[in-house]
Amino acid sequence: MRNFLTIWFRELSACFLSPVAYVLMVVFLAVTSATFLLDITQDAALDQPLTVTLFESILVWLTILVTVVCMRLFAEEKRSGTLETLMTVPVTEAQIVLGKYAGALSFLLLVTFPVAITLLLVVAVSPVLQLGDLDGGALLSGGLILILVSSLLVAVGLLVSLLTRNQIIAAICCFCAVWGVLLFGWIVTIISGGGFSTTYVTVTDHIRDFSRGMLDSRPLVFYILGSALFLFASVRVLESRRWR
Amino acid sequence: MIVKVENLTKRYHGRPAVDDISFEVKPREIVGFLGPNGAGKTTTMQILAGFMPATGGQVTVAGFNVFSQSLEVRRRIGYLPENVPLYTDMRVKEYLRFRGRLKGLRGARLRARVMAVLESCGLGEVQRQIIGSLSRGFRQRVGLADSLIAEPELLILDEPTVGLDPNQIRQIRNLIRGLGDRHTVLLASHILHEVEMVCNRVLIINRGRIVASDTPGKLVGLLRGNRRVCALVRGGTPENVQHLLEGIPAVVNASCEPHGEWLQCYCESKKEDDVSEDVFRVVAANGWSLRELHEERRNLEDVFAEVTGEEHGHGLHERLNGKGAA
Repeated sequence: MRNFLTIWFRELSACFLSPVAYVLMVVFLAVTSATFLLDITQDAALDQPLTVTLFESILVWLTILVTVVCMRLFAEEKRSGTLETLMTVPVTEAQIVLGKYAGALSFLLLVTFPVAITLLLVVAVSPVLQLGDLDGGALLSGGLILILVSSLLVAVGLLVSLLTRNQIIAAICCFCAVWGVLLFGWIVTIISGGGFSTTYVTVTDHIRDFSRGMLDSRPLVFYILGSALFLFASVRVLESRRWR
Repeated sequence: MIVKVENLTKRYHGRPAVDDISFEVKPREIVGFLGPNGAGKTTTMQILAGFMPATGGQVTVAGFNVFSQSLEVRRRIGYLPENVPLYTDMRVKEYLRFRGRLKGLRGARLRARVMAVLESCGLGEVQRQIIGSLSRGFRQRVGLADSLIAEPELLILDEPTVGLDPNQIRQIRNLIRGLGDRHTVLLASHILHEVEMVCNRVLIINRGRIVASDTPGKLVGLLRGNRRVCALVRGGTPENVQHLLEGIPAVVNASCEPHGEWLQCYCESKKEDDVSEDVFRVVAANGWSLRELHEERRNLEDVFAEVTGEEHGHGLHERLNGKGAA
């Protein structure tokens, strides 16, 4: 447990040791607010709650944020050789994987939640839009789905980062994998010709439902199990170097 | 025995990098691990540190199997990899605290150990600096401090002085020599001089096999070839001097060449004969002047060249095996 906390803390602080974190925060805020404000001004007639627009605009840019955060997780350690020093201290593979996962996820949430709050404040002080439009419950369940989706995407990104030592390859593969997860439900629907229902695994649907305030326990299970699966696979991949 | 390696083999894609080697290391021994590039030194060390599995054979550290009891082994070693990988974005002290925590140190003991290694590795003045801004020598010392922090029973150092300047090499060498009181050290290097000065025992590995294993002194003693005495003489003609030196009974071969105003003479004799006194008597008896008289010392470099060289490799190897030294 202590080793896990040590690695978590190191991962999180490493993000802030380089300027990457600050650049990411500023750029993420800029592009997300641009998307959000464009959406609410241009589609004012569109009949959809404000929270849906908010969380959808965050999600679009979240894919790039996840890519940038995850690509260096293990690829960087492999390239610089620090994995060798990390794997020769008395720390288990599970502690390393979970520590890095927690570090990346907490950084991601540290970036996205202030952005969500900032955008809501903008809406609140805007003379055009009335805050009466906002639904507190929908806001909370939207926040919950944002955490769930982030945890799954980071788990996927972590596994991809483990498979290569080249950060550019890691970034490209990570980006594709993240979109693959987001569009998984759609892809299955298209291939099967609408043969069977994919609502349980369609991330975009979950975002829409949750940010409308429609809480459902099935997506909850899907994200928790999905993240656990990818983390388990990552631990196994990291362990495999001991039996190869 | 703190390290016991039996029939260790490692293959990369079918090509053996380490081929059936066995050796042991006693507690508090400083063992030098020598070999040309690509001989299998780093591979052996990575296997010992539990970073990489072996293809075959048994490796135990302090009685624990490296493959099945990896965590126990990792608790007992300090490993410094070849190119000293560090988190370049951290500060020196911060990095050492992080590594100390991962190695199980806590609280007051962690603080005390961090201070101790900062002191013993000469890092006090740079403890607040970012590792990325440090020179090669300081980074090397940060790596060494990291490997020492948890006071491991076994230190595995892969080329700890590569890329350092002569002063830094001397500091690190003194540090390593001092470690022998409390730790067992396995040191890979191809700087022969360094190994000769620091190590109690030398293992020479070539093409994945151990070709020599003994104290540096004994290895030098096993070298083939004749002894050579060198003398600078003035007085006689080259032919005359050479002729008289050849007259010494134990001398196998003598040569004389002008060297400025002096004659440089070499006398070769069998390994068991010392002819320097006879050379002096001949010179004195003829009334010549003598400026210099010394025996050419052979060192580990000659041993290394002999056992790892292409065509002579087998001679010493067989002699060592014949004596049961390997």
